[in-house]
Amino acid sequence: MMNLSRSVALISLFLLPFLSSSFSVDNPTDRRVLVLLDDLSLKSSHSTFFNTLKSRGFDLDFKSADDSKLALQRYGQYLYDGLIIFAPSTERFGGSLDSKSVADFVDSGRDLILSADTSASDLIRGIATECGVDFDEDSSAMVIDHSSFSVSDGDHTLIAADDLVKSDVILGKSKIEAPVLFRGVAHSLNPTNNLVLKVLSASPSAYSANPTSKLSSPPQLTGSAISLVSVMQARNNARVVISGSLQLFSDRLFRSGAQKSGSPDKYEKSGNEQFVTELSKWVFHERGHLKAGSLVHHRVGETDEPAIYRIKDDLEFSVEILEWSGKSWEPYVADDVQVQFYMMSPYVLKTLSTDKKGLFHTSFKVPDVYGVFQFKVEYEKLGYTTLSLSKQIPVRPYRHNEYERFIPTAYPYYGACFTTMAGFFVFSFVYLYHK
Amino acid sequence: MVKSTSKDAQDLFRSLHSAYSATPTNLKIIDLYVVFAVFTALIQVLYMALVGSFPFNSFLSGVLSCIGTAVLAVCLRIQVNKENKEFKDLAPERAFADFVLCNLVLHLVIINFLG
Repeated sequence: MMNLSRSVALISLFLLPFLSSSFSVDNPTDRRVLVLLDDLSLKSSHSTFFNTLKSRGFDLDFKSADDSKLALQRYGQYLYDGLIIFAPSTERFGGSLDSKSVADFVDSGRDLILSADTSASDLIRGIATECGVDFDEDSSAMVIDHSSFSVSDGDHTLIAADDLVKSDVILGKSKIEAPVLFRGVAHSLNPTNNLVLKVLSASPSAYSANPTSKLSSPPQLTGSAISLVSVMQARNNARVVISGSLQLFSDRLFRSGAQKSGSPDKYEKSGNEQFVTELSKWVFHERGHLKAGSLVHHRVGETDEPAIYRIKDDLEFSVEILEWSGKSWEPYVADDVQVQFYMMSPYVLKTLSTDKKGLFHTSFKVPDVYGVFQFKVEYEKLGYTTLSLSKQIPVRPYRHNEYERFIPTAYPYYGACFTTMAGFFVFSFVYLYHK
Repeated sequence: MVKSTSKDAQDLFRSLHSAYSATPTNLKIIDLYVVFAVFTALIQVLYMALVGSFPFNSFLSGVLSCIGTAVLAVCLRIQVNKENKEFKDLAPERAFADFVLCNLVLHLVIINFLG
């Protein structure tokens, strides 16, 4: 009995690398996703969302949040590429999962969708704080908006939000027309943190308070500082979506019509399904994931990369950048990729021109300074992976025989010397042979 | 007062001119050569004032070749002048040979320093 289980474990250990056919450098879309639920009825109440994920090829593994066999890693290898935590009221995860293991999961470059709701537990708030997002400290507070609520609602807690971030890469090319319905808690972002971003903000008239009790003091979180859905892209390009409402993902709000109070436009279907689908495409690296080839540089007219440049050389520089389309690597097209020729500060900063096939190139003259320079490409565009490439190259001054032989500004002096010599010659003749 | 000073200047100039016409021809040739050399040096200084002293060695070389040959010509004039008691015993051919050799050395150095 023991031998059998041990041999099965050994065989699965050998097969594990082959079973993990996902999330490599060549194929960055996540495949296996662990879904943690605190209430298994979420499987059916949010079935549309999960079915769209499954139809795009994800393997969803549904587990209860306090399942005692929960594990993200086995024998040092991660079992999943993505994590969805729809368990806002869970105080403690089961198994070997805790907020530190979730933080390590994101640190390893893997993606996370975290949703809180009213009565979010400290565990969920702790994970959100690790990602740079602070939920309202009052656990009974919800987002209330008396001028931007959905007309189908009674107590103004179902917000119809349309303040979306302007980013085609995060939210897709087609504009989300209908407002997105939201009912849940507010969170705010630290303004000095440049890794987090508000995707869905509340309107300026929103505030976060307990809807059932009277307000005794002005609410802390108000207006557009309230974020309803935020994303974070870590420095290792792991992507995290944090939402204050679990109902945002539910079938009921997907299907419901939306009409913002005070606006005459009535939409048959809210923008929730489009919003959630496009956001899940972004967070699981189906869009906006860039890969760069190595930096290539050489002198104009040559093809080999020299080991050292001379000052005032003409050189050509190129780099190849590809974008993952979800299925294959496509050429990346943009007009704002720049290269720096850098030694303590950029001596040359040029915008690269693209040939639309993924190759970005430019040419410039090496500056009149010698030292050890770097070609640096630092690309940080909203919603795209950060590219940080550099290549070192020394630059030498002129050799003693590379200077110009005759200096043009000194031609009068050359002329004067030779004229004087000629004058001396003529003078000697005249002096000797005059009568 | 003004009229008398201008008349004095004219008289001075006329007397200098007539005294100078009395000098021997070979001395006048040497004077012409000196004027030519100094004039060339002045042109170079003017050029340097306009353009800046970038190849300073070339500037020095040009100016010093003119000034040096002017100085040597002045020395020749002193030694060859019959009215000069100090060099009564020096043959003018010897003075001219010294002049030629010194100029040769000067121009050799100048070409080396010109760059």
